[in-house]
Amino acid sequence: MTDSQWDALLKTIKGETQHPLPVGFIIDCPWLPNWHGVRILDYFTNDALWLEANLKALRTFPDALFLPGFWSEVGMCTEPSAFGARCSFPANEFPHAHKIIRTSQDIDDLIVPDPHTDGFAPFVLNRLKLAQPHIEAAGHKIRFAVARGPLNIASYLMGTTEFLTLMMMEPDKAELLLRKITDYLKAWLTLQRETFPSIDGIFMLDDIIGFMGEDEFRTFGLPLFKELYDPSVSVRFLHNDAPCKTCAPILPEMNVNFFNMGFEVTLNELKELTQNQVTLVGNLPPRDVLAKADPAGVFAATTAMLDAMPDKSRLVFSCGGGMPPGVSTANVNAFIDAVRQHPGSKA
Amino acid sequence: MNELVAKITVCIERGKVNLASPYPKDLKGQEGADELAKQAIAGGVGPEVILASCNEGMQRIGAKFGRGEAFVPELLMAAKAMNAVMAHLKPFFAAGTVKPKGKFVLGTVAGDLHDIGKNLVSMVVAGNGWEVLDLGIDVKPAKFLDAIRNNPGCVVGLSALLTTTMGNMAATVKEIKTQFPSTVVIVGGAPLSAEAAAQMGADGYAPDPQGAAAFLTKYVAAV
Repeated sequence: MTDSQWDALLKTIKGETQHPLPVGFIIDCPWLPNWHGVRILDYFTNDALWLEANLKALRTFPDALFLPGFWSEVGMCTEPSAFGARCSFPANEFPHAHKIIRTSQDIDDLIVPDPHTDGFAPFVLNRLKLAQPHIEAAGHKIRFAVARGPLNIASYLMGTTEFLTLMMMEPDKAELLLRKITDYLKAWLTLQRETFPSIDGIFMLDDIIGFMGEDEFRTFGLPLFKELYDPSVSVRFLHNDAPCKTCAPILPEMNVNFFNMGFEVTLNELKELTQNQVTLVGNLPPRDVLAKADPAGVFAATTAMLDAMPDKSRLVFSCGGGMPPGVSTANVNAFIDAVRQHPGSKA
Repeated sequence: MNELVAKITVCIERGKVNLASPYPKDLKGQEGADELAKQAIAGGVGPEVILASCNEGMQRIGAKFGRGEAFVPELLMAAKAMNAVMAHLKPFFAAGTVKPKGKFVLGTVAGDLHDIGKNLVSMVVAGNGWEVLDLGIDVKPAKFLDAIRNNPGCVVGLSALLTTTMGNMAATVKEIKTQFPSTVVIVGGAPLSAEAAAQMGADGYAPDPQGAAAFLTKYVAAV
């Protein structure tokens, strides 16, 4: 993000309505490499292609905020790899990490990794470091430290069913696992912030929150997220596109002030659930509208979404979740045009 | 004995697996589904009565889940409690004393490693008296076809969590319908809708585990 884009985002989070209204998208693999016309494996392994794809997105859509922006990632593998998970990279498919915890006893032996040296973290960080001069030459800065959330990583290391069952049957073991993951995440987020002083945001992705009830989340999740979302950072961004009605009222308590949700819940409902304390980024249906409709359909659905919002403060218009595969340039432009041409965008 | 059966239902609904289980907190130190099922069988309660008590417990927790009053961990625990009962009923199934409603072949489609939705469906459907053949995650179409070949008359359930693997789901449905046109296929998963399910040629769409069980109940009534 440029300084002016970042400033607009900070003002939006503080509750100032922007004119024009802000538009933002979470862009990553698989949308970005496919849109740029390169194989996923090439996108992950070729620094120049990765940078080129990201710069092309900025040039093509200069009016959109890209979140987190220049996301150096290895799909779901960055953090699980640090714990020793086997990672599979099919040539043009999304990579995935395999489970490493078979029994709760394995948790005792789990070593807290060092993000300086372990798994893909050093590669991810070095890619950004190498790209930093080019990113800054384009007028942008690295703004976010990024990680999967602790519940999400636990479910990768163990399996979602197994992890959720462990929480109920052996809560002490579940807490130990989450403690080790959180200690790693704190070190990983801190390392990113130390490496890039321009970082003033933390972005975590954790959709396991959506599977839990309030009691379980308050016991197993909330204390850890409070630790991880350092309140001294300006933008504390959470992505959970699983069900979110349970966690939405707790977001301010988690220190979250910026939230990307699934498309099943409306922005108005979420404004109510969060008592308008959290800036929301969404909420056009990603697959059925943004990816599948034609540009006129995207324009009409986006306009209807804006019309339905009497209060347009604390909103960044987007789709629910991240940019889905297959969204065309024309559809992204139709979305941006609809927001820009809406009466709410006029000062 | 009626009291024992009612207690089994409560254990399923509340996810109380056995005496050692610390969950739920308010039932800590009390006997669970495992011990009570054992006692019921020893006391001469018919296996079909015990199975019906499981169904009742699963329906209660399923209804709570549908209303947003219970969540995935509670549903998993209920299923775990039910599995503890089913372990005692296994000999009756093997002897043919209790007959399953049918066979349900289930798997997460190729390229998708998510198991939570599939596992929940598996547990709830089994709790409704179906024999479930769980093929696991990342299941290639050929594996589904082999399972159908080896289990004539089965109903097939396909699960996917990722938008990116919906294409693989459609391809699997197409392959099944080409080779076994009369096989009933039901699909479910976060990125799906009833419309998308119909477009790929599936016979049914389940938005949640209870939806899958309801579809199968309707199917049994229809055949």
